[in-house]
Formats: sequence, C-alpha cells, structure tokens
Amino acid sequence: MNETRLSRRALIAGAGTAALAAPALAKLAAGGMIDLVLPGGPSLRPTTPAFPGKGEMIVQRIRPPLLETPMEVFREGIITPNDRMFVRWNWDMPTQVKAAEHRVAVGGAVKNAVSLTLNDIAAAGETVEVVAINQCAGNGRGLSSPRVTGTQWGNGAMGCAKWTGVRLKDVLAKAGLAAGARRVRFAGLDVPLTDGAPQFIKSIPMDIALRDDVLVAWGMNDAPLSILHGFPLRIVVPGWFSTYWVKMLSTIEVLTGEDDSYYVADSYRIPAQPITPETKDFPTVPVTAMPPRAFITSHGDGEVVALGKPLVLDGIAMGGDAALERVDLVGKGWEIPCTLGPDEGPFAFRRWSVKLPQVAGDFESIGVRARNVNGAVQPEALAWNPSGYARNVIERMTLRAQ
Amino acid sequence: MRAAAALILALALAGCDSAPKVVFADASITLPDDPIDLPEGPGRDAVIENCTACHSPSTMLQQPKVSAEKWESIVGKMRKLYKAPVDEAAVPAIVAYMMHVQSLPEASR
Ligand code: HEC
Repeated sequence: MNETRLSRRALIAGAGTAALAAPALAKLAAGGMIDLVLPGGPSLRPTTPAFPGKGEMIVQRIRPPLLETPMEVFREGIITPNDRMFVRWNWDMPTQVKAAEHRVAVGGAVKNAVSLTLNDIAAAGETVEVVAINQCAGNGRGLSSPRVTGTQWGNGAMGCAKWTGVRLKDVLAKAGLAAGARRVRFAGLDVPLTDGAPQFIKSIPMDIALRDDVLVAWGMNDAPLSILHGFPLRIVVPGWFSTYWVKMLSTIEVLTGEDDSYYVADSYRIPAQPITPETKDFPTVPVTAMPPRAFITSHGDGEVVALGKPLVLDGIAMGGDAALERVDLVGKGWEIPCTLGPDEGPFAFRRWSVKLPQVAGDFESIGVRARNVNGAVQPEALAWNPSGYARNVIERMTLRAQ
Repeated sequence: MRAAAALILALALAGCDSAPKVVFADASITLPDDPIDLPEGPGRDAVIENCTACHSPSTMLQQPKVSAEKWESIVGKMRKLYKAPVDEAAVPAIVAYMMHVQSLPEASR
C-alpha cells in the first residue's frame, strides 16, 4: 500500500495538476442542480449520472465519493434500486479488486486465525437474505439548526435493499471464538492516504455480532455489490446505522475489551443525555441503533393541492431497530392515523398512506410521525447534537390549497 | 421474535453440495474526474496546495457559515488527526480564504 501513502511533495504535485478556474458548481457532465433547502445554505448541489453503475445522484463530493439519493426515488415501492442507493466513503477506496486474490483475515481472540477466500466465505454457512435499511448516521445533518460541520446531507443518505450473504457468526466459527471474546471489529480495503491517520475500522458487541440476521454480504438486490457499495463483501447490521456496515471487508478482528480506535472511541458518538448547543462538556455514547423515521414522498414542501377535493398523501416509514407500529399524519393540534402498506420485515421501509376526504384550506407545517413496537416515537423537536447524528425529528412541510 | 420474520432463508443446495452458491468476478471502476474548482480569492493557492489531496473542494465549500476560529480548528483537526501535511505558514491564508468564500453569494461559489 506504500504507493498510496502520500508525502507532502506528492500531495502538492497531485493538487497542482488541477488548478482550474471557478465557478465550482455545475462542472459535472450532463448533470443538473438540486436545492436541498438547507437552512442558511449553501444548499445547491450538482446532480449527475456520471458515476459508473449509478443513475442521477446528488453529488456531495466527487472524491472520495459522497452521493445522495434524490427524495423522488422514495416515491414508489420500498426497495431502493442499486443505481440510486447513496454512496459514502471516508477515504479513497481501491478502484480494482481481483476476486481470486481477495482474502478476509479472521484473527484476534480466536482459536485459529484463518485467511478466507471469497468461496470460503460463501461456503461458511447457509445463504441468508434480509431486507434492511442502510442509513448513514449523519443522514439529514445539513438540516440541523443550528447548523453543524461535516457532510451536509439532506435526507437522502438512506435506502433499503435486499442483502444476500452468510451469517457473520458462521464466518467467526471458521476461526472459533476464544475465551473473553467481547467485540468484533471490521476493516476494509479503504486505507488513509497518510501514515498515522486513523483507518476506518468499526466494531460491534458480541451479542449483535452473533445475531442470526447480521451478515457478511456479497449481494445487494440480487446483484453483486459494486465497488461503490463495497465489493466484494460488506457487513450488514439490520437496524443499526451503516457506519457499522464496513465495506470491502478484508479483516475481522475479535477483541477482548473495549474498542479504543478513533471511529468508535472518538467519533460517531452522540450525547448520552439531551444537550443544547451551549452545553460544553458532556458524556457521549456510540451512535448505534436507528430510531424511527417517516417521510411524505407524494408531495414536496410548498406544493399546491386542490381546494375542496379529496387528497391522498403517502410516503415511507421505518421503525429503526424494531418493527414499525404506526404512522400518524400530524398538524397543529391534530393527528390522523395512516394506513400501512405491505410488511417486508422489521428493518425494511414500509409504505403508509392516508386519504383526506376534502381539502378545506392550507396544510400548515404538517408531518408524519412513526412509532415502533418498542414505543420509540419521533420527537417534535430535534435532538440537536454537535455532529448532527441520528436525526429523527418529525419532518414538516406546508401544502397550499387552491 | 419478529426479527426472524425478516429472514428469508434461501434454498441453498439443490442436490449438489459442491455447486458454488455464488460466483465472484473481478470488479473495477473508473471514477469521474475531480476538477478541483475553487472560486477566485486571496489564499486560493494555499487551499489548493494543502486541502485538496484527500478530498474534493466541495468538502470545504459546502460547509455552513462558521467562524474563523472554527476554520482554524478544522485545519488543526486535518493536521493532527488525519496527518495532513499542511504548511504552518499557510494556515492564516487558508482561514482567510474560507472566510472570504463563505461571504460570497452561493451562486458564485
Ligand atoms: C491527509 C488527508 C487530508 C487533507 C490533506 C485534508 N483533509 Fe480535510 N478531511 C480529511 C478526512 C479523512 C475528512 C473526513 C472525511 C469524511 O468524513 O468523509 C476530512 C473532512 C474535512 C471537512 C469536513 C468537516 C469535518 O470536520 O469532517 C472539512 C471542512 C475539511 N476536511 C477541510 C479541510 C481543509 C481546510 C484542509 C486543508 C487545510 C483539509 N481538509 C485537508 C482528510 C484530509
């Protein structure tokens, strides 16, 4: 990997080749622009179909790629097509992977450390499929108020797919857990450009790692994972944010204690108790299980609806780390239960809809509120945190009657 | 538990134990060029030199408006945490450029 580590001279030489003139936006081939309506801006983003294997995506960043799904993709069905699923890398990933040469090292607190080929992984156990939502912990960060720094996502850093693979516990069994095994840590082929910078490695507690639905997956909606989505293998932890769904999996390491690596011990953390933007020192916990969320997808903010006519609103919802129980359409001082669509499992999107007999006037600041079977319900006010993680405030919009 | 309902167990072996369940082919991708476009302004060269090796300029340009102190702390994080080889002498110019860009109307960024 030495050629990917950069000296200061190499960094400058690389940058110098591309000193083109501004303006920065709208330079992507065949793309348009979209306004993410982030409070205070900047809010405009280019869109492009230029990434191989991807349809029209919102470009948050070309390198390493950060591509957001336009909300219109969520208007139909519950599965997000592979070419519209969001893309998120912290560091550059390899642009080529040879299947026969790829190995997954399973080591740490195990009885026999092993190095597995892709065929070894596929043969490690029963093939399992699970429909699950993959959502970035920072989804919706750009909508935070007050704003916070980091990737300025709208709400499109999420998607739902059918994942195919083997159980992580069957892969762990190839090595055998040693006494004291407490966590399982994953690393992929994406490594920092600089020596000493933290590699993007993540770990989960053993009770989660041994769940029947936690996978080492190779398939996404019946297709092989693409490079952008983590070829050849990625971890799938249904109900947990995708920061744990390590892509291009190359190392599985069993830990006997807490994980003190940067992306677990120092980042991807949220306040242990609610705070305000003025709170200075506060204890934090890792951002892990997803809370419930719901979105109106049939209409956009400010859209005009027909006065005196019936109106059907619909959209998607999720229970997070437990099945969705109900969705209500909420306004100022009123709420109406919504009808839920087909159930594709506790970790999938579920559609909701509601029919209003007659539009009597504007719908000011309406939203949908999801509740899961554990009783977790979307809050009225944002649980603000300095990294903009785990947003699940009720999203509001206004419809004008005419 | 309801979690079990989510699992659709695929029909693994239909008779022949040795048939591979999945065939892995090589994969590669050619990513679009990263044009490294930054609006004109004092300090632009310092930002191009120091801040565009690991990520596209949109990483900086899309941030909400923050203070000069916050930009200093972001540059500090790049150096200390990510080991960005940033020239110490260039830091004031980088901060000044980011403050300048954040004062521009969005359409000209
Ligand atoms: C050695 C590599 C490297 C260099 C050089 C670098 N950065 Fe970063 N920067 C990163 C990484 C890694 C991230 C986190 C990326 C992610 O989350 O996807 C980041 C993120 C950011 C962010 C997003 C906010 C945040 O805190 O995550 C800003 C703003 C930023 N960098 C500004 C700069 C500026 C300004 C410079 C030049 C002084 C710079 N970077 C140089 C590696 C680098």
